[in-house]
Amino acid sequence: MNSSIVSTRQRWLPLLAAGLLLGVPIAVGIGYLVIGAIGGGNVNGSALARVLRDGAVWRSALLSLWIAGAGTALALGGALCIALVLNGDSKMERFARTVVALPLPVPNVAAAVAVLLLLSQSGWLSRVAAQMHMITTPAQFPALVLDPWAIGVIVAVVWKELPFLALVALSLQSLRGRALTDAARTLGATPWQAARTVTLPQLMRGLAPSVIAVFVFVLGSLELPLVLAPSSPLVLPMLIQERRQALDAASHGEAYVIALLATALAVIAALVHEALRSDEA
Amino acid sequence: MKRRFSMRALLVTALTLFAIAPLLMLVVTSFARGWFYPSVAPSAVDGSAWADVFRDDSHRVALFNSVVLAVSTALVGTVLALPLGRTAALSTSGVRRTVALLAFTAVALPPVALGVGLQLSVLTLGLGGTVFGVFLAHLVPALGYLTLVFLGVFTRWDTRLEEAAATLGAAGMARWTHVLLPLLRRPISEALALGFLVSWAQVALTLLVGGGAVRTLPLDVLAMLQAGQDQRAAAGALALAIPALIVLGVSRVATGNTPAVVA
Repeated sequence: MNSSIVSTRQRWLPLLAAGLLLGVPIAVGIGYLVIGAIGGGNVNGSALARVLRDGAVWRSALLSLWIAGAGTALALGGALCIALVLNGDSKMERFARTVVALPLPVPNVAAAVAVLLLLSQSGWLSRVAAQMHMITTPAQFPALVLDPWAIGVIVAVVWKELPFLALVALSLQSLRGRALTDAARTLGATPWQAARTVTLPQLMRGLAPSVIAVFVFVLGSLELPLVLAPSSPLVLPMLIQERRQALDAASHGEAYVIALLATALAVIAALVHEALRSDEA
Repeated sequence: MKRRFSMRALLVTALTLFAIAPLLMLVVTSFARGWFYPSVAPSAVDGSAWADVFRDDSHRVALFNSVVLAVSTALVGTVLALPLGRTAALSTSGVRRTVALLAFTAVALPPVALGVGLQLSVLTLGLGGTVFGVFLAHLVPALGYLTLVFLGVFTRWDTRLEEAAATLGAAGMARWTHVLLPLLRRPISEALALGFLVSWAQVALTLLVGGGAVRTLPLDVLAMLQAGQDQRAAAGALALAIPALIVLGVSRVATGNTPAVVA
């Protein structure tokens, strides 16, 4: 059907164009990282060995994985809850779907400032606690930002990513309809059984590529941790920045190696995402 | 039934608070004057933080740079991604999957890692610390997002109208102007909004490729926060959020209430 619209020669054109517009910048960027990693370490492979032996790098990787994992899991839980409870056509549900989309376009920097003003030890929640005589000084309020568990970053991640996952989940719900859920109910399943055995597995399968996307975006995000994350250990993007700005050339080499490892993680995530997407299609 | 309704009402209330409270916090802080701990509300309000943000010449330059970068990234990204997504979607599944993989990689790469590599490329081209260099860097993730958008659109595309136009004698350009572009008004609006937002919110690529010489609004907001200027940072953060919300709103109106999906 498409043959009269797109000729055989045109079919190879997108590959060439994508290679030129997307592949070349990515390849050149990665190429420079490889050169930097080798050059910065003076001896081939020594920067990589230093990075792999460096406990700070592993602690950073763990913190980044914790933030991305916990933030994505909480956002996913919220999105599933919304898709299961607010998928009707009443005025209240339509209002909820509009409101939940509000944080979606808000830039990460603005989200970070807002969460800081709410959750810091002199923030609004701390002031409410003081007014309720639960605390008397800001220091008595639990550290929710710049804290070792990165609670502030995770809250900001959920605020930003829940709307995205909720909209995808709701659109999956409306595309798939209620036929299978209704069939399960007709066969005697309780609403909870129908949700657990029919709706949730379907939603999870459809949401998998988006969940991978959110996880990898959060893993590479700089803005939220820059404002809200602890300074020790640093999240991976901040560690790359710190090593890049260090005065000694060896640290620069390490920055390139860490950036390469982060890039490898992203490429693996992209491959998994594409595999899940084509599986879903 | 009643229990289910009250659970819904509870969830809607919680969601509304969750979505609005941080934005409300920015609004109140940006207009607050003399808001000392432990008061839960400011003792007085004025617009001095907003005036500071827009009166300062360097902030005005940052705002101008942000607008120029976001608009040009949206326009150029859409113009490049539309034909790319279309020809890839109408091609073989192997080509389609390769293009999708490349586009998602451009989106998924940590901006700091991508920025470190792009910084060296841009420096080699003599464009380090220039707005044009930063624009080229913003274009990489934007093009990834927009290619994915148009791949999605054209994978479900019905080519029969185009074929009918071709049968009636419409040449390539006429098919684009009289058939394709009118049909693509919605996805083009979404793509323009998405391209704008990708650049508008960008920090890492601007910081690395701009080398501190190219100031944008997100970088200025971070600087205000680090200087302890909470009121000005809140005003700056709202100045960032409001155009983004307007762009989403306009895109939703233009696309008949279909939200543009942004991660």
